[in-house]
Amino acid sequence: MNTNSMSYKTKQYIMFAGVTTLIFAAVVIVPFIYGLYLTFTSWDGVSRSKPFVGFANYIATFQDSAFWAALGRTFIYSFVAVILVNVVAFILAYLVTRGVKGQNFFRAGFFVPNLIGGIVLGYVWKFVFNRALVALGESFSIGALSTSWLATSGGAMVCLIIVAVWQYAGYMMLIYVAGFMSVSNDVLEAAKIDGCTDFQTIVHISVPLMVSSFVQCLFLTITRCFMVYDVNLSLTKGEPFNSSVMAAMHVYNQAFTYKNYGTGQAEALVLFVVCAVIGVLQVYIGKKAEVSA
Amino acid sequence: MRLKKVAALSLAALMTLSLAACGGSGDEGGAESTGTSITVFNSKMEIQDQFEQAAEEYSEATGVDVEVYYSSDTVAAHMATKYSSNDPYTLSMVDAKDVYNLAEEHAVDLSDQEWVSQTPYAISINDKVVGFPVCVEARGVIYNADAIEAITGETFDPANYQTLDAFKGLLEQLVAGGMESPVGIMKEDWSLAGHYLPQVYEEQADPEAFVTGLTEGTVDLANDAKYNSLMDTFETLTQYNYAKESPISAEREVTEQKLAEGEIAFMFGGNWDWAVLSAYDYSENMGIMPVPQNTDDGTNTKLVGGGSKYFFIDSSENTSDEQRQAAKDFLNWLVNDEAGNAFLTEDCQLVPAFSNIPADNLDPLGASVKAYADAGNLIPNYNFLPDDHYSVLGANMQEYLAGQIDRTQFAQDVADYWKTAQVIAH
Repeated sequence: MNTNSMSYKTKQYIMFAGVTTLIFAAVVIVPFIYGLYLTFTSWDGVSRSKPFVGFANYIATFQDSAFWAALGRTFIYSFVAVILVNVVAFILAYLVTRGVKGQNFFRAGFFVPNLIGGIVLGYVWKFVFNRALVALGESFSIGALSTSWLATSGGAMVCLIIVAVWQYAGYMMLIYVAGFMSVSNDVLEAAKIDGCTDFQTIVHISVPLMVSSFVQCLFLTITRCFMVYDVNLSLTKGEPFNSSVMAAMHVYNQAFTYKNYGTGQAEALVLFVVCAVIGVLQVYIGKKAEVSA
Repeated sequence: MRLKKVAALSLAALMTLSLAACGGSGDEGGAESTGTSITVFNSKMEIQDQFEQAAEEYSEATGVDVEVYYSSDTVAAHMATKYSSNDPYTLSMVDAKDVYNLAEEHAVDLSDQEWVSQTPYAISINDKVVGFPVCVEARGVIYNADAIEAITGETFDPANYQTLDAFKGLLEQLVAGGMESPVGIMKEDWSLAGHYLPQVYEEQADPEAFVTGLTEGTVDLANDAKYNSLMDTFETLTQYNYAKESPISAEREVTEQKLAEGEIAFMFGGNWDWAVLSAYDYSENMGIMPVPQNTDDGTNTKLVGGGSKYFFIDSSENTSDEQRQAAKDFLNWLVNDEAGNAFLTEDCQLVPAFSNIPADNLDPLGASVKAYADAGNLIPNYNFLPDDHYSVLGANMQEYLAGQIDRTQFAQDVADYWKTAQVIAH
């Protein structure tokens, strides 16, 4: 049989990836194209007619200062959160691969927050920030804690970042743990014999050998942070003064609450493009930095 | 090693459990069908259980299968999903503003129905009745009379505190009597800019003309008498707010608990708040009074409110004529059948929107609202505010509440908002 013919390849593809392709097309490709079409209409969500309005929604998007403010906020949030998540995750991974007693327990423990749904997690932390910390602040008269951080515009962002770190660090830690374990002992021993300190071993041996872990973790955290919605909704709901509305929440409000589907969809597209560009760029740069041992 | 395995397994089991706990939802309802079957969308979450129960009883009595659904999505978003998937409910309960959005294309003309003459609250569009009012709801200042009387030693009669001066005097008396801060304020944007601020429009002599004036920029809000009178009261409330130090971190549940248990005496709200208040160790001796104001235009003797939540019947080809008839019958059952009446006023504790429905066992807030409604002392809702009104201006009003901007600046923000905002077509 000619394994190089077109029909053979097609059959092989359909056999192995046919169903997946179909599902992917049905839930991602088709809605995406339909969404693209909606950006050129002024549909309100319930009307039977979808009047064609050309580029009006894109013009509205560029004039929507609240959207750009939300996007800027999302940039700041993602920048800080991505760095903190990865730093914390890396340190945790380092600590639980050192052969500490009960390290499997710690690994599981750090991972658990990731299993709690974002909505639940938001409510739990809301309680912590609004009541627990305030109660602590009052009884020990710590000025910074005596009023809820969630009530100030800067504070709400800090809260969101803290929760993001708590939520994602455990997950990323697992990927870094895998990275640490993939570094062969031979190289580490060689480094030790050559007189490397622990710190030098990490910086010059482990880190370059686990770049793929960094690429994965950064990609995951960046996309997740940019798309943050559930924690945003249950922890701050955009309050106070709409100062913690992230891009995804603004898109949702624009489309479903204010009933401007077209504009909301156009803004979602802009958000998608931003995420795609950053994601691809980051993976591309990361791949270049990878070394093979 | 064995121990480790057991530990790992049990941990895995625990995680699976916690995952499973997140799934599972309850959108179920209804009983065996014999003939026609209709679907009903309920957007009043607090009556979902009662509604399912009533639907079951109705099905048994009439043979029409009624299935009640609820969604945690916003009403408009959920309606959009159902209509874009060509799967609308036979009967949908929505907010008044949604009726104006949906009815023209999607609702059946109900003008010939018997109940039309029994209510002043039905919604008509182009002279056709399309919206069936589910209940009456109104806004005002909720008071806890027990808490007040415990300090003043005399019976509390809200009629004595219609002016802001009298109200302030009472607040002072409460503070002197040991209630440090007698007021709670909900910081939620829907309460501030969805319920309090709209009173500025609704209490005008001609709300329609006033809002048009706002959109055209001809109204000087900062010097408007009604705006200032309501904001005078708002500032007084803020001054006696228990969460004065950090008004934005006040949680609704905490505020309502304090009110129910008499730790504070007043909160601006509406009779829907009873669903929250009654979850605590509440005092029976509560009620709603008009927002006190130093004015002589009579608005301080009335609550603001009217019909709340409206049923409309789907007119599309996805619904059959039998289903439409069954839906009409169901609405009639609510108004003209004892069991239907009991479901509304006793099971759900709703203030009836129909003159023939008796309601003697309402909750304290509902009883207050009914008394004002029966006496004709309700200022109608303005149902045509743009969809983003409460959210955009809610943020500004939160700043005003937190003392970050002053009254003039807030008036400016409101005026700026109206420069580009458009009211819902009606």
